[in-house]
Amino acid sequence: MYASRNSAKCTKDCLCLFVCPTGATDTETGQIDAERCLDGCRLCVDACPSHAIFLVMSNYSEPAPKNSELAGKLLELCESKYQQEKAAEVIITNAESTPKKKLAEALRRSFRITAEDCAREAGYMLPQSEKVKKLLEKFAGINEDAKSALEGL
Amino acid sequence: MAYPSNSSLSVIFSNLQKASEKQQKPKTAELFGRLAVDFDKGSSEVNDFVGLKDLVSNELSEKYPEVQAAADSVKDRGALRALVWGQKVAAIQKSLIDRYLLKGDELLIGKALFVCEACGFVSLGADVPEICPVCKAPASRFSKV
Repeated sequence: MYASRNSAKCTKDCLCLFVCPTGATDTETGQIDAERCLDGCRLCVDACPSHAIFLVMSNYSEPAPKNSELAGKLLELCESKYQQEKAAEVIITNAESTPKKKLAEALRRSFRITAEDCAREAGYMLPQSEKVKKLLEKFAGINEDAKSALEGL
Repeated sequence: MAYPSNSSLSVIFSNLQKASEKQQKPKTAELFGRLAVDFDKGSSEVNDFVGLKDLVSNELSEKYPEVQAAADSVKDRGALRALVWGQKVAAIQKSLIDRYLLKGDELLIGKALFVCEACGFVSLGADVPEICPVCKAPASRFSKV
């Protein structure tokens, strides 16, 4: 577990700098240096007055299994939303006015976000899960990115 | 294990990209992002708002009740949550298209569009909503179109 800073909540009181034994919290990017952060130390998390620092897990347990019939139906819903996204893309390309283009773009993003939610609830929530690993294995032989992603999990 | 169809792969991968970003894993996120692009091979016969409205409308009346029944029968609360948000958002998508078909470009005069990155809710107004009416995410989770 290593510390991470939510810069939107950080009030720059910098108490994390006082308590960090390795200086990992003091960086030019505003993010905590994961290389120097001590596993599970959490001194900065507790010291932060604005609750802007949290711990990111290194290990995740296998998620609860999903009912396969329901998962299949959720993926169908995901496909239906993907089709809507594609239709919105065509409308964006052909739009003769900026307002029309903007509305289609807002809808395009909305379809993608709701489709992702269906994919998540169909069991593709956690990158490290067995279900995701099996999916990547299927493509690892033909796609370099799938191979690298699988190796990195 | 049954594999997902080609038309859900891009979505699965873009979701995993976001999940990896949340876990502060930029390299893995980038790989999933590339996979999301690689597998984004879909196309659409529908090319106007009338056709798109029909797609959303049919999904609400035909598809959702079926998935809802399946989620109810196994009491999957995560899926039920996604269905509550999804149906509300789809109803809003449909209503926005309806209003645009009625009023045209005038609908957007003096207003901006904001999309909730958490649930997909689309807001049409002068300012960003303080809180998402669908999922209660704060204003910071909205992106302006």
